[in-house]
Amino acid sequence: MGEVIHKTVKPLQVNPFKLSQPMGATLAFLGVDRCMPLMHGAQGCTSLPKVYFTRHFCEPIAMQTTAVTDISAVLDGGDAGIVEAVKNITAKVTPALIGLCTTGLTETKGDDIRGIAKQVDFPLVWVNTPDYEGGLESGWALATKGLIEQLVVPAAQCNRQKAVLLPHVSLTPIEVEKIKEFIAAFGFTVFALPDLSTALDGHLGEKQAALSSGGIAVNDIMGLADAALAISVGDSMLSCADALLRKNPAMRQHHFAHLHGLAASDSFTALLLAESGRSTPPPAIARWRSRLQDALLDSHFSLGQTRFLVASEPDQLVGLCQALGEAGGRISTAISSVDSTQLARIVSGEVLVGDLEDAEQRAGTVNVLVSNFHAEAIAHRLHKGLLLRGFPNWEQVGNVLQNDVLYEGGCYFICAAANVATAQREH
Amino acid sequence: MASKPKIRELLNESACDHNTTKKSTCSTPTPGATTGGCAFEGAQIALFPYADAAHIVHGPITCIGSSWETRATKTGFSGRDLTQMGFTTGISTSDVVFGGEEKLAAAIDYVVQHYAPEAVFVYATCVTALIGDDLDLVCQLAAERHGIPCVPVHAPGFVGSKNLGSRLGGEAVLQHLIGTAEPDTVTPYDINLIGDYNVTGDMWQYTPLLKELGIRVLSTLSGDGRIADIRCAHRARLNVIVCAKSLISLTRKMQERYGIPHLSLSFYGQRDTSAGLLAIATALGDPDLLERTQALVAREEAALEKKLIPYRTIFHGKKAVLNTGGNKAWSIASALQDLGIEVVATAVGKSTEDDKEKARMYLGEKGVLMTKPGQEQAKIIDETGADLLLAGGRSLYTAIKKGIAFADVNQEKKKSYGGYAGLLNLAEDLKNALENPVFKNVARRAPWER
Repeated sequence: MGEVIHKTVKPLQVNPFKLSQPMGATLAFLGVDRCMPLMHGAQGCTSLPKVYFTRHFCEPIAMQTTAVTDISAVLDGGDAGIVEAVKNITAKVTPALIGLCTTGLTETKGDDIRGIAKQVDFPLVWVNTPDYEGGLESGWALATKGLIEQLVVPAAQCNRQKAVLLPHVSLTPIEVEKIKEFIAAFGFTVFALPDLSTALDGHLGEKQAALSSGGIAVNDIMGLADAALAISVGDSMLSCADALLRKNPAMRQHHFAHLHGLAASDSFTALLLAESGRSTPPPAIARWRSRLQDALLDSHFSLGQTRFLVASEPDQLVGLCQALGEAGGRISTAISSVDSTQLARIVSGEVLVGDLEDAEQRAGTVNVLVSNFHAEAIAHRLHKGLLLRGFPNWEQVGNVLQNDVLYEGGCYFICAAANVATAQREH
Repeated sequence: MASKPKIRELLNESACDHNTTKKSTCSTPTPGATTGGCAFEGAQIALFPYADAAHIVHGPITCIGSSWETRATKTGFSGRDLTQMGFTTGISTSDVVFGGEEKLAAAIDYVVQHYAPEAVFVYATCVTALIGDDLDLVCQLAAERHGIPCVPVHAPGFVGSKNLGSRLGGEAVLQHLIGTAEPDTVTPYDINLIGDYNVTGDMWQYTPLLKELGIRVLSTLSGDGRIADIRCAHRARLNVIVCAKSLISLTRKMQERYGIPHLSLSFYGQRDTSAGLLAIATALGDPDLLERTQALVAREEAALEKKLIPYRTIFHGKKAVLNTGGNKAWSIASALQDLGIEVVATAVGKSTEDDKEKARMYLGEKGVLMTKPGQEQAKIIDETGADLLLAGGRSLYTAIKKGIAFADVNQEKKKSYGGYAGLLNLAEDLKNALENPVFKNVARRAPWER
């Protein structure tokens, strides 16, 4: 195991792939049905992420801004802007919920949104997400925690068949759906919080982007506390699981660092067998497991001679590295956008918190890069193979349908990686 | 600093036509009902295309983390294209508390050492403006340290719109770069191109024609731009503003300071391209040049017309509804008309007074200027029997429902629609949209729907 570098010594970020907390919080709110994410900041705090997500998801995105100006930044403590924004939003549409998050601007000036939320006579969940702290994962997790703390009604009883999935931000809509179906196959009724699988899954619908369309219903969030099982995926979601357990201490909590690759899928299946009291999984799951075994063997020849550089959000990074490693892929460098407890789990020549300048400097002896759209220029300059994963992917269509997790997604992922590596060698 | 008087002055532009009738300045954004970009974005759009300069964003991660490498502004610069890189101090909590000036100075040093830019632009953002970091001083000291221009750009997002940010960007260039160097030679045919950012190579559709005519592009702000050139911009004979109202303050000041006249034009569509070239030749005041330009325009129009023949039959009698913003409301309409497509409606909800006037001019009496296109366009498609909807992704469902072709005009373009040659690209894309059966196929009813 290589060295883990938790802090960069550079005075700046060059070609950053780190994203901000308000962006993560906004995505989480988009996983709630008929929600309007509202950023308390300047108009650019909203317009830039809106364009960013529109291009990534190939869908129009619903989000609004309190449009703080230099004058209101000084004269308004946020009360006037937020109250007026809610008034203007609800004049046009009727959201089931408004998801309010702060930005660096309004945190610097110190607006008390908790207090302001009390003045708003409309269903609203608030969360503090300065963009000079944390990143995409923590923003998503903070908003999820806010939804739990402010909406879920406490319970003492458990519905034995009910499970709650708490997915980290980098799981694609189709991955969330597949995990839900996997759990459901063991006889559970499953709710995901947040749930992008029915929201930003790339479906054609009417009145797009007036509000979020699809996602978990507010009523379903309120009723989550009687679930028997809380399953968190990704370390960023642990605090959300804790918050949910406080709503019902009788709930059983299980945590998975990730669901990539054979070993993690096995642990997940073992848990569901135990929780459901079954001795064998449904036949389709067993079948996919045997396909993954075969895919690992088919791809090991290519992957066994390939050196990878992986750069991603930590909850995704750990999974990608694990899955590649299972078929002998050698991770030379793993770069995380932010620090995380996940970094200690990664088997790689070196692990660091950094940016894509760090990636470019370390890509010399690597064959294949696994990273987002911004790595394309590096791959092009240095003639490397590239597997596009994570935010943003502005180049390819269909990225919301990209499934890398559990037995089935593991097959697709490992074959795709092997094929990119082979093409790179023969190029 | 971006002082209040300066911003008020920039917003109250006497060279704007609408200012004779409308004294109010650009309005402040409405909380909960705002879609536009901020001043930082405007400054970024105006200045980032200088590919030989480094662009350091002094702020938290959102500002550049979500926006670098988003605009396909092409450059002929042979070194590393710094436009397509993201540099940010990515300030943290401790910077907010203790100030970010030291970090910024170190960041400038790092960038100069590793990427050897011709200049460094430093962009203030809301947070660093609020905590009061002194960008002017940091930049001044860095410029002395490194012997290259370090330009503070005071366009934090919260001071206003994208448009204002572009003005503030132009202001920074005027204050810190223009007039700081002299060109090796000057000619009577030197012009500056202002406001064309060479997105997808738009500029390169007409700059070869200028060159053929002997017109020299002395500098640009900022498409395919070079720092060394813009420093000499004060020696040009003419400022040509391309499709950008926001930089008119800059050209007016250059007229006052250096006596350079300016004219505003567009290179979208055949008519505008021809008119633009002739206007430049006329403004330069050489009868021989004008004659040669007329000949060139005739030649290019004839060549284009020949290439458009196969498209003419396809577009004959076709009607389009256009739902986009700003100057696209009329510039794309004009290009569509050049292709023989009738534009029955265009959206002016986000357009300036000036743009609305132009849109009316191009569409004529019968054309509909939609102020609430989201609500109006479906009805207009029915009433006019339109065949094509050009709009952003939000309107896709309307087109599917009406069973007509759709073209996304807000998606980042991959190829240029500018100049004569660009019109052929547009024709090809629209032909493909009109011939594509996908819209009708997708509109099929599901087997379980009656």
